Amino acid sequence: MELTFGTLCGGGLLIVGLFLLYAIMTGSRSLRNYVITRLLLVLPMIWILVTLVFVMMRVLPGDPISTRLKPGTDQATLDRLRERAGLDRPIYEQYWDYLNDIAHGDLGVSNNVEQDRPVTQIIGRRLPATIELVMPAITLMLIFGIAAGALSANKHKRTLDYSFRITSVVAYAVPIFWLGLMLQIVFARQLEFLPVAQRINPRFANDFTHRTNIYLIDTLLSGNGQAFGDVLKHLVLPTITLTIALIGVFIRLTRSNMIEVLQEDYVTASRARGVPERKVVYFHALRNSFIPIMTLIGLQVAVLLAGAVLTETTFSWDGLGKLLRDGIALRDYPVVQGTVVVFAITVGVMSTLTDILYAFIDPRIRF
Amino acid sequence: MATTTVEMYVKPRTSIMGTIRKTWRTWGGVSLVIAIILAILHLGVKLDGAKGLLQIWLVFNVLFATALILSSQTVRQARRWHGADWWLAMISGLILVLFIIIGIIPEYLAPYVYDVEAGPARLGPREVPANYILITRVELPYENFADIGYDINTGELIERTSNAKSIAAIDEKANRIVGQERDTAGIKVEINRDATGLQPIEALNILSTSDVTADRGRPLVAIVGEESQFKDLVSEYPNLRIVGTVGPAYKGGFLFGTNLLGQDVFSRLLYGTQNTLMIGISAAICSCLLGIPLGLISGYLGGILDRVLSLVMDSLYAFPGLVLAIAIAAVLGPGIGNIILAIAVIYVPTYFRLVRSQTLAIREVAYVEAAKSLGATNPIILIRYIFPNVIASVVVIFSINVADAILTGAGLAFLGLGLPETVPDWGVDLSKGSQFVLGGEWWLVTFPGLAIALLTLCFSMLGESLSEILNPRLNRA
Amino acid sequence: MSLFQIVPDRSQVNKQEIILSIRDLSVEYQTRRGVLSAIDTLSLDLYKGEVLGLVGESGSGKSTLGKAIMRMIPQPGRITKGQLIFKNQDLMQYDEKQMRDVRGKQISMIFQDPMTSLNPVQRIDNHIIEAIRVHEPSVTKDEALSRSESLMERLGIGRRRLNEYPHQLSGGMRQRVMIGLALALKANIIIADEATTSLDVIVEAQFLDLLRELKDEFGLTILLVTHNIGIVAELADRVAVMYAGRLAEVSSVDELFHNPKHPYTQGLLRSVPNIAMDSQDLYRMDGTPPNLVMPPSGCRFHPRCPHVMDICHQKQPWLVRVDEIGEGDEQVGGYDKHLASCWLHQEYQGSTQARRY
Repeated sequence: MELTFGTLCGGGLLIVGLFLLYAIMTGSRSLRNYVITRLLLVLPMIWILVTLVFVMMRVLPGDPISTRLKPGTDQATLDRLRERAGLDRPIYEQYWDYLNDIAHGDLGVSNNVEQDRPVTQIIGRRLPATIELVMPAITLMLIFGIAAGALSANKHKRTLDYSFRITSVVAYAVPIFWLGLMLQIVFARQLEFLPVAQRINPRFANDFTHRTNIYLIDTLLSGNGQAFGDVLKHLVLPTITLTIALIGVFIRLTRSNMIEVLQEDYVTASRARGVPERKVVYFHALRNSFIPIMTLIGLQVAVLLAGAVLTETTFSWDGLGKLLRDGIALRDYPVVQGTVVVFAITVGVMSTLTDILYAFIDPRIRF
Repeated sequence: MATTTVEMYVKPRTSIMGTIRKTWRTWGGVSLVIAIILAILHLGVKLDGAKGLLQIWLVFNVLFATALILSSQTVRQARRWHGADWWLAMISGLILVLFIIIGIIPEYLAPYVYDVEAGPARLGPREVPANYILITRVELPYENFADIGYDINTGELIERTSNAKSIAAIDEKANRIVGQERDTAGIKVEINRDATGLQPIEALNILSTSDVTADRGRPLVAIVGEESQFKDLVSEYPNLRIVGTVGPAYKGGFLFGTNLLGQDVFSRLLYGTQNTLMIGISAAICSCLLGIPLGLISGYLGGILDRVLSLVMDSLYAFPGLVLAIAIAAVLGPGIGNIILAIAVIYVPTYFRLVRSQTLAIREVAYVEAAKSLGATNPIILIRYIFPNVIASVVVIFSINVADAILTGAGLAFLGLGLPETVPDWGVDLSKGSQFVLGGEWWLVTFPGLAIALLTLCFSMLGESLSEILNPRLNRA
Repeated sequence: MSLFQIVPDRSQVNKQEIILSIRDLSVEYQTRRGVLSAIDTLSLDLYKGEVLGLVGESGSGKSTLGKAIMRMIPQPGRITKGQLIFKNQDLMQYDEKQMRDVRGKQISMIFQDPMTSLNPVQRIDNHIIEAIRVHEPSVTKDEALSRSESLMERLGIGRRRLNEYPHQLSGGMRQRVMIGLALALKANIIIADEATTSLDVIVEAQFLDLLRELKDEFGLTILLVTHNIGIVAELADRVAVMYAGRLAEVSSVDELFHNPKHPYTQGLLRSVPNIAMDSQDLYRMDGTPPNLVMPPSGCRFHPRCPHVMDICHQKQPWLVRVDEIGEGDEQVGGYDKHLASCWLHQEYQGSTQARRY
């Protein structure tokens, strides 16, 4: 079977599906019930999120057609555009059509970003880029965030703790796009050892087959070392930017969770049994604080997507975030709405998955 | 242990809130009324001098409140218990006071007005530019650069200079003006691009002899040129005069450089404080006003209402804030009110969730039960018993939330959904400057970004240390 | 009535061998309001095989004493002076690593709330295996498992239960698991810190029975920290009464219940409800426990004492023998002696035997 982005996604879904199946088959009855209930709740949740988007974009005062057109466009043109977008019909009909279209995987047709191309198709082509950016950032965030948070909690109210706290607050306070720009100035413009923007040097763009559109995988599969190195180099600055944006909140949350857990009785009890301090902190406490951290990772998806929009814009990274920005800049309403809907669905699915994982880790949750 | 059970039956009272309450009783009400009257006089009646009075009054109040808080017993005591956190809170608090004062009275602090083209475009920080003079015909009434700009019969201006930067800026300006949106750009001076290649003597010839430029039939009314090249030549033309140097003297250069319109970056930063603070604080206040009551009612009453509200709020909370704000701002269109609204919506769930969970907990606490058994009504319990206990944690979240809102506002501006370009705002300046990062004009993004970072840093640092100070759980011995 | 009638079997107690000797121990907490003296120059001996009940009100420092023995006083508290002589070694001289070997292996602690004292995400067997392997790294997992299984069987917890998580067990079971953890390492001393407080009465009775059996079976020495006099009467051999960070009285259970010397002990005993008593007879002690940041001068009990004298305000009484002194009985303290610190027993304070204990 040929490896494409589609098969890659299919594989991912298969793994998730197998995991869920495993959970349902082997877990206790309560776990099974929980997983099934939670899975059944995905659709209502996505429905709520998608409805939220609809309310924000259509029901609130303001009109996607007129606000983003040049002032002075005549009424007839406006009306024509409205009619074309179906905005002249009653709101419930619009809502029904909207849901119907989403259910059929139809997000409309782009007007300006890529003339007359279905939005789903555009999103499908941009998604791999976002994944390529997001995955390394999440990995780095988990590694550094948890390590720093745990260290900080362990040395509560001491120098190391304060320095990590200040680092996290600073990382949190810095505007992410500004950080990206500064990195560009320092590393790309002044020192000139990293590329400024884009995913790959156009020189290499046609040197390998675009199977998955995740360039890291594509170049590896083609065995093109030079192109792979180039892709890696392009990935460095955006990844650092996104990681720093994510890590501020994350360190803080791991730290406060750890501190709470370290004050629990069972931590004292295991100390009283002579368990070495390192084991107490990095095994018992860390493992328990993982439980709330799991939910936080679910919530981090939101931060991540917002961060992706800004990072991708800064680094001209052709992913979903930049698509959203292009949609705004070119006043392409279907693209904006379509991207936001995709974000909503991502959030819904991710929060379900983290909840299920959560139930796996915490034996108390399976009700 | 017994002590904790005893505490549970006493209505807890945070001392910081006590201080604020006391101050508010004695001073806050009067002060606010005066401020509102002055604001009405300034914005509504447009009375001369009302603005100055309002500014003085606000600054006085900010200083007064700061002094009051600093001198209060609680704050002084807190220093002993929370050394480092106390200092962090203090320092960030004082920097914030400074920012607020700058936001109230930027015109007294800034060296230039934000929209004045104070010098040559894209001048680096502290870079001293060549001295420019403005030359015009004797019969024309222009007294400065701005006069030409505001003249209805806008003329053309030849800028002749060897300064590469300046030429580039003129090109930029010309492109913009010829290309699009003359009205909205706010610059009414047109520059003849071709003329920039002229020798000084040729340019002066054109200005003195013909009153119509060759290619587009507009009168050439003035020339801007480097002093060293033009000054001696001008005396040879009897019908020409030197108006003066262009803009105010900028002998020491500009602290943070100038932007591509020749405006002083530093002054724009000072002026921009107001809008940035306004967006952040107003958005956070709007979220509070909506989120807190909903959270209180939802948590206290429970039932279907609570379920529905929680569901909606949870979904809203899970949604990427910036993306939601983008969607809302894209629909609502530009304008400070719309931006505030777009940001406010995404932070309502933060307060809702916080207040609701605390209400749920406090609802079960003994003193509320006691009040109930004494016949207190629901509104009284909510306002007198539950609200005061919830508010302490809201203060902490509020501070962090303002930082968030400022960042989101800047993000919106960066994506092109911010305030109009004419308005001074850090996010907008940063966004405009970002197009020139690779051209080497690093100061256009560095300083607005630093300002945003410093402001958000102070707000979140304040919130962070306050939470560490106020959180009794982490501080209990 | 019934509460006081059970006389514990003291045959196991070795009256000569002191297993743990606390000498002049002081613990202070740095608080917002100043230095809180939680334990003030306290000395107490624990004899091998005995059950010593440590009673007192909340905040009297009895739990702190338990933690101090383990050298686990949480920040911002610390042991400011004193010695903890255990097997001829001063625990205060041990470094953290040596101390870890003592904790659990030699001295073990059972906490008040068995729900929160067990790691919620760890299965029961893992708790025990970990405890064994921390101290005996050479033991394999399987060995540890089989050891924990037989131990748990003895405690009445089935093999199946070992695979479960703490929240799936009942309160009594969890507390038995906690004991199992202490026994797994064959600890010499068990400090039970309010170990029965969170259990209901019936489970508590079963638990106490179990504890009594185990004590004889494993030759345990138990420091029973509690505010429940009834439990002390049922299980303890000796009692130490703490008030405001100091010992008020130390004696055998019989002696204490029948002949309390310290006014605080007297009040304490009279305030315990008893079925045979008329409710009007129930004694209510005046005042509240003192603020330990600024403790009362002299005897810390004097503001609440019905027999207060001038000297009580000025001088701190010592803990001295208050029972009949036999012929040639030079030794101060000792297993059978009755000690109290009160100026009412001034004759003892002044006598030649009055040595600070």
